[in-house]
Order: sequence, then C-alpha cells, then structure tokens
Amino acid sequence: MVAEPTVTTRSPRHQLEIQLDNAIARLDEARSFAKPALSGRVLDICKRALMSADSVDLVYDRIAALERSGIFDGSDWATPEILQPLLAANTLRMGNRHTVILECLSQLRFLAVARGDYFHPSVSSEHAQHFLSQVLALNLNLLFDSFGEAEREREAGLNEIARVVYLHLVEHIGYENIFDRVVDEVWRILAQRPIQVDTVKTVITQIAVCMANPEMGTPRGGDRLVSALFNPSHGCREDPGFDAYMQRLQAMDEHAFQQEAGAFARAMHDTGLVSVYHTVFLRDINERRPDLLPAALGLSSTGREVLLCYQPLIQALIDKAIFPETAQGVYGLATLLERGILYHPAMAPALWRQLALPLSDATSEALTRAFGNAHPAHVYLLAGVLNTLGQPLGVGQGNNPTCQAARAISMWSYNDPDYLLQVVAWAARDNEVVMHFEGQPVSSRQAVEGLAKGGVLDVDPVSLVVAPHLDRIYMAMGQLCMERGEDPHRRINPEFHGWWVGRGFHIAVDVASGLLSEYETFLRYFYASYHPYYNGNQPVIHPQPAGIAVTNSAGRFVGWHAITLLRVALDQEDMMRAYFFNPNNDSGQDWGDDVIVSTSGHGERFGEASLPVQQFASRLYLFHYDSLEPGSPEKVPEEDIATIVAMARATWASER
Amino acid sequence: MTGTSLKDHPSNKNKNPDKGFVAILGWSLAAIDAIDRFDRRYVIVAPAWAEEFANANNIPYIPWNFERLNDRSMEIAKTLKEAGVDVAIPLFEETVEWAGAINSVLLDQPRIYGQALLFRDKALMKRRAQLGGIRVGIFEEAHDKDDVIRFLKRVNQTLLKLEGDPNDPIHMKAFDKAGCLGHRVIRTPEDVYNIPDNEFPALLESHLDGWEFAVEAWIHNGKIRFLNISEYVTLGYSVFVPATPELEKYRAQITQEIEKLIKAFDIDFGFIHPEYFVTNDGVMYFGEVAYRPPGFKVFELLERSYGFNAYQGLVLSFDPKTTDEEITAFFPKEVVDAKGYAGCFGVYPRRRVVSNLEIPPETEQHPYFEFHELQQPLENKVTKRTAFGTHWGLVYFFGDDSHQLRDLLKAQEDLDYYI
Repeated sequence: MVAEPTVTTRSPRHQLEIQLDNAIARLDEARSFAKPALSGRVLDICKRALMSADSVDLVYDRIAALERSGIFDGSDWATPEILQPLLAANTLRMGNRHTVILECLSQLRFLAVARGDYFHPSVSSEHAQHFLSQVLALNLNLLFDSFGEAEREREAGLNEIARVVYLHLVEHIGYENIFDRVVDEVWRILAQRPIQVDTVKTVITQIAVCMANPEMGTPRGGDRLVSALFNPSHGCREDPGFDAYMQRLQAMDEHAFQQEAGAFARAMHDTGLVSVYHTVFLRDINERRPDLLPAALGLSSTGREVLLCYQPLIQALIDKAIFPETAQGVYGLATLLERGILYHPAMAPALWRQLALPLSDATSEALTRAFGNAHPAHVYLLAGVLNTLGQPLGVGQGNNPTCQAARAISMWSYNDPDYLLQVVAWAARDNEVVMHFEGQPVSSRQAVEGLAKGGVLDVDPVSLVVAPHLDRIYMAMGQLCMERGEDPHRRINPEFHGWWVGRGFHIAVDVASGLLSEYETFLRYFYASYHPYYNGNQPVIHPQPAGIAVTNSAGRFVGWHAITLLRVALDQEDMMRAYFFNPNNDSGQDWGDDVIVSTSGHGERFGEASLPVQQFASRLYLFHYDSLEPGSPEKVPEEDIATIVAMARATWASER
Repeated sequence: MTGTSLKDHPSNKNKNPDKGFVAILGWSLAAIDAIDRFDRRYVIVAPAWAEEFANANNIPYIPWNFERLNDRSMEIAKTLKEAGVDVAIPLFEETVEWAGAINSVLLDQPRIYGQALLFRDKALMKRRAQLGGIRVGIFEEAHDKDDVIRFLKRVNQTLLKLEGDPNDPIHMKAFDKAGCLGHRVIRTPEDVYNIPDNEFPALLESHLDGWEFAVEAWIHNGKIRFLNISEYVTLGYSVFVPATPELEKYRAQITQEIEKLIKAFDIDFGFIHPEYFVTNDGVMYFGEVAYRPPGFKVFELLERSYGFNAYQGLVLSFDPKTTDEEITAFFPKEVVDAKGYAGCFGVYPRRRVVSNLEIPPETEQHPYFEFHELQQPLENKVTKRTAFGTHWGLVYFFGDDSHQLRDLLKAQEDLDYYI
C-alpha cells in the first residue's frame, strides 16, 4: 500500500489560519537579516485575510504576534508613537502593495491597543483611540467607496482591503461617534490656535464631503467649520470660485461691502481659520477701501489704533504676503496687531527689513520644497512671520525632535519679537546664526549634527528656516558644557533663550544616577518662586523655560520635554493653575494618574496648556528662578509637598 | 579574521562544542538563517561582495572567490583546516568541486575530490552510472553543431522514422550547469543553427517518454536518512512534495536506485539530488545527479510540508560528528509525517510586451495559494526565451490534496501573471 500524509480536509478559513500561523512563525524564528525575505509572504497571506470582512479577525487576533515576529522592523511602523494620522490616511488610499498591507496591520494594531486587547509598550490606548479617529476622519470618503483615479489604477485588491479594514475600524470605534467626534476633535485642536492647520483643513474638507451626503446628517458644530473655510460670507455663499467672487465684489454696494468684512472677520475669529475668499477680499479693499481693513480683520480698538499708526507698513505686508496660498497669514496679521507689539520701537523697522529681505539659495529652496512655487519663497516666509508674531503659542515642533528650538521661537515671539526677526534675518539671508556661550561665539555652521537629522518636517515657514540653526546651536552648546558633571540646561537655557531666564536653577534628579535628589527642596523652591501664595503674590514676569518628565496615560515615563512656564494664576473656580506652552503640536494630553492637560475651559489663552499647580509640579523636573527673589520656601505646607512627592513617585519617579 | 577566532565568533557561542564545525560554500540567506539557528558552529565562505553584509549582521565569514580551481585552491583548504573546520558543504553547483577539493584535505581522503569531479561533468557522470549498472538513455558528447545534427539523425533512424516524419526530440545540456540552465530541446536542424557556439561542448541525450521526477536524499555513513520524491508537473515550471500516490508507489524501487547510485559514486555522506525518468512500463532511467541543494526552493517546500529545516539536515548529513541517533531523531518519517502538500510554480511572462504584474484572481482566491515572490516588470519587452531560461519568480501553494495541487499547478501554465 502506498503511504499518504495523514491530513484532514480543511475549510478555507482554517486553511488561511494555518497558512497565517505558519508564515508568522517562520518570520518570528528567522534572524533579523533573513526577515526582509520572509515578511513579504506574511503580508501576502494577510492581504488575503483582509480581503473579506469575515476574516479580518484572523489578522486582528494575531496582531501582537505579527508585531513580535518583526513584520514592522526596519520601517516607520516599528515606532508607532511617531506615526502621523495624515500620512497613515494617505497610505491607505495611495500606497502600493506592501505599504497598504502594513498600514492596515498598523491600524488594526492601534485598534487592538485602543480596545485594550493588546498592551503596547509605546502606545497608550487613548493615543490609539485618538489616532484612529483622526485616520477615520481623514478617510471618510471610504465610507462611500469613492476612490479617485489614482486609487483605481492600483493593484487589484488594495482598494478592497483598505475599505474592509476601514469599515472594520468604523464598526469597532462606533459608526455614529466618528462624525461628531471628528468635529469635536477639530474644535479642540483649533482652540489652541495652531499656526499649522493643513491637517485640520483636510479633515474639514472631508466633513464637507460627508455633509453633502443626506444619509450622514449634520454633526454638531460641523457647519461652522465648513463655512469658515469655504463660504464664510454672503458673497461667497455657494463657493463660487475666485473669478466669480471678484466680479461680485466690483458690483457690491456699501452695505454689502461692510457685511462681507464683518462676516469674514467673525468666521476667522470664531475658528482661527481663514477662507481663501477672505484673502481675495482683503487684497481688494487694501487697494480700493483701506478704511475697511479694521472691520475685515475684526480688530478691537487696540488693533485699530496700531493699524492706523502703521498703515503704510500694514498695507505693504498685505500686498506682499497675503494670497490664497497664504490665507492663514490674515489671522496672523490680525492677532499681531491686537498684541500691540508694533509699538515696540524696533518692530516696524524690523518688519520693513523683512519685507525686502533677500533670501539665501538654501532658504529659498527649502521654502519652495515645503510650500510650493505658486509664489516666490519670500512670500511664504513673510506670511509665516506674521503668523509666528501673531500666534506665539501656535508654534509647533512638527514631526521633529526639536522641542528646544520650537520653544525658543515661541518664547522670542512672545517676549522679544524684534530679536526673533533678527534671528530670522540671519538664518534666511545669511544661512548662519551665531550665538554666544559664556563669551564664546557658537555658529550654526559648525559641524555639529542636530537632533533633527536631514531637516525639519511639517512646520511653519519660520520654524522651517530657523529651527535647524537653533537645533545645531543647542547641540553645540551642549557639547561645550558636557564634561561639567551638572545638567547642561542650567548654563545653556539663559545663554540660548535670553537674559530673562533665571540664573537660579533646580533639578529634581541627580544628573549622574538619574535618581531623585533633594526633591522636597526642589518643590519648595518651585512654589516659593512661582506660586503667588508663597512668592509675595508676584505674577510670572518673563516666560521661563522648564523641563517636564512626560508620562503617558498609564503614568509611565516617556521622556524629558521642554516647555515654557507662562503664568501661575487662579482659574474661574479659584483653582491655582500653572499655564504653560508645550511646543508639541497638540498640548491636550493625558499624562496618567488623572493628570489631564487642559487646553481650554480653565482660563487658558489661545495656545496655552494648563494643570492645577500641584499636578504640574508633580511632573516638573527642572526650572529656573531668580535667586535674588527666593520667596518663602519654608512656608509651603508639608501636606502639599507630600502629595506632590506621592504623585511623582506613583508615576515617572517610581524607580528613581 | 584569524582562524582561531572564527570558532569563537559571537554567533558560534552557545553552540554544541562536541559537534562539528562546518564551512558553507556559497551565499544563501535562507541557509545562513537556518544554520545560525542550528547547534553547529559554522563559517560562510563567499565572495567579497558579501563581506559588508556579513560583518553588519554578525555572520562568521571568510571571503573567497569561487572561480575555476587554480593553484591558490590549497590556500582556502588550509585556512579552513587551521580554523578547525571539520567539513565543507557546497550550496551551489559552482562550489561542488571546491567542496570536494577542500574536504579531501580536511578529511584526508583524496578520492573525495575525484568524486566531486564526477558530479561536475554530466558526461563523466553518465558513464560512471552506466559502469555501476544503472540504466541511462543514449547520450553523446557534442563539440560543435555537426555533432548535434548527427546525433539527432542517428537517434531518429534508430526509432525507424521515415523521411518527413516528425523527429523525436533530443536534449542538449551544458556539462556543468545547474538544473535547467543551458538545457535545450532540439527537434529540427533549424533548432541546431540557433545554438550559439559558446554553448559547446555539451551533452546530448535522447528523449525519454516517461515521467520525470527528482529525488532529494540525505546520506550519512553511506545510508539514506531521508528520501524525498519531488514530482514535476511540467519540467521547468512546477514541482511539489511529497509526490502523488501514483509516483510514491515506486518508492521502494526508487530507494534501490538511490542505493545503487550511492555505491556507484562511493558516497559516504552528504546530500544528493538526482533526476530520473520512469517509463510507462515502470523502468527507471537515470538522468543526472547533483551534490548540492536543488533549485526551485524544494528545501522551502519540504519545510512547509514536514516542518523540518532541510539546511539543518544538510549540516547533519555532512558533519562527521553526527551520531546515528541524532540524525534519526531529526528527520520525520517520509510521506506519513507530512502535514500537507507544498508546491511552487515558476512564472514566465506569456506575452511579448508586458507592463504590469497581476496575480490572476482565480489563483489569489484559491485556498491553496500562499504567497509569491514576483516583482513588477522592469522592462516592458520580454526577451525571447532561449533554452529553458529562468523564471521571473515563484508562486507558492500549500494544500491537503495532491491531485488538486497538481492540477492547480498545471492550470497556472495557462494564466497570465504579467499583462
């Protein structure tokens, strides 16, 4: 008799399961150098499972095993904490074979983390939730199976799996929730008035598409977002296009003109977003009716006064910087005027210099690469300057490890705006910034590699030009004081940011061992310097750099992070809060153990983050103060200190 | 890197010091991965282009360019001997005679080199088989096109064909190339004129109508330790393991044939990969034999089907320090221990102009389909196939029914993967 294998006939689903397990096991056992050759086959089998809604769970159930086997190794997906929702959303729609499948796996991983089925060391379940709602929001069109030309050209099956996985996510995140949640999310981000709003605009465009579908209904607050971008005024009510709108402007009567100005201004100040029609209107009245500028910018008496004082400068800025492609510049200009900083004598001449500033080739290239060539590079930089000056707390570090540089730009705009313009001129024109460290010049051209290798990404024009220089200078200063056995920030921060940074310095940990050291003294001095009850009721005068031990929503230590302490004051409920600037793009974060950073609703100004002062102190690890104004450390109640110490010990300092 | 430090290479820590230290001749990531995970110390001997990768990935490595054997050949044998290597294992056809030369020094058995030369020359190989009482077809050596025409005519005369009858084809193979490389099927004198002169000398063989199949046999102490029969669906296109019951019924007979081969070639250890024809009346004809792993990823298929790693089996069968118990425990029982049938199909574009890779939906949706290793075409124009040529990549299948798998593999020949 002829021998035969002892196999039983299997169902297709079981067959697929076996294939999947076998391929994963094979990849898992392979040495790292052999993995690339094996991961393709795992992806092929995953693709088949993802083709049908009935078998997505086969992949979902194995997502931890897949990650462990090394399927994400050597790619961006290996570090899920840095993944960007916008990129993820685009990959799903536009990637090729293996990138789409990897993206699908990564999103299923986020789902498993969000639902608590997979405990991931570097992603919290809140972060995963957040990430997924954004990805879902950015791809709402997948709900309607509406693929564009480019997607239709793709390899067979990719659109199908993108859709199957998308619907699977929607099903589990909650169909009805997404739409409202997306809108809430957009409002939450906008409440921080970021300078960079590209992602927000993309999401709002998606919302607009959905709202056009009668089955979807209109989410709370969605209308305002869409109208602010596409049809804020009566004259552009049905989004008629530039040419038609321009013709309409020529025919408007005085009353209609006034109405337009007010409508644009209201939409802009409601949302922080600027419609492209607003730029068309502004350029038009800048020529024909400059008297309407205060109304069109929505200025208060302060802003109006400034505008009237510096009218030729303002009109030149509008003429040279405001175009449909730089629409957000209008909001920057309005808020710049409102801040009153033009009354500072150096500001007007510095802006005139900016208007005529020649750019180095490197600067022009970088700007054009990032923002396109619809206008010369200096236009984007000038508009960016308006935004940075008008929204000092709207600066974000983008997808870069450059929180120090972003914090400096923000702090100068806030406290020393003409110096910021000086740095911009050096960086943009000379392609070199020189600062001094203990009397010794430190040039950004020195051969030091910064933290952001290969340039900074996803940032505003000023950061794009300035941050790489600051990044390198910060590193170079760090090298100059590396050997001193103390925390380098102590010496660098005052030299780098400005004279107002306190020379007094406290750090909560021992630099050599990383263990907590004289922590209670640290906390007492912090309260005595900043808490109005213990510092003689003195508000914070200058913004001060400080260091935070960032923790994730599980309270686990994530890393050291640079912030700016702006104010310590009572909120509307008489809770003493610390208000601070976080150069991270989104300050609303859950730091675990009930420490949830608030960005609005507790007395925050646009762009500020806040925490009750005890909670803030429990994550603080480094601050500067004026040693000549020591306050009363001994008066700080023992219970307060004990509470804070316990909060730190329960989280980031648990093993210190 | 000096000889002694190779044994202590970080990747050779935690290995069994009582077992052999093997040198792998040739570069294959699948092999290195398998052997790195095995309990034997090893070193990879491969051309200099592999050095950077080897160092970056902590792979014990000695650079060597395997050109024709020359007067420097002794140098690599000495280096390996000084490093404490027990045996060398060839991965590719080109390294077989190197392994023979090196092993004759390492094991102090000069006849091993002679044996390797038999494996490297298809004409010598056939004569040796014939001398060992093994049936082979009619064959001859050809030095130019005239030899080919004469052989084609003589073979067809023998078959009593009349003028104008279609000829029975003959096969022409390079002496020393692996598998289908340089293999041509010749039917008419016109086919002969298309052969470039640089393909001579070559081996000519009569065509045998029958069932062609291959065998993989791991040998230790002169005994077969595992014998697999690989079934070809269409030569050069597809293969699967284990074979169908129709072919497996010859297993006893095939085992005898392999034992004859072991005797004729005086094989004590290692791995052989011979090819046979079985004619309709059950007579076995020997085609050729190679002393190295087969192409078409048969090792992969075996692992898929049985779960053992064939490269690790290779190391066991070469290592003089392997014990009988060890190797018996390593290999599963043929056929009955298989968890299913694994096969692969080599894709050739069927159209002259192609622009896109598209897996046929009926393939992709078939439950037996596993994955493929095909790439998007780099050029639109497909070069005309000479001889058997090389496929553009493999498509892998796994299932529980050998006939269904065979028919599925056959059906792939009529599908367009490139359009």
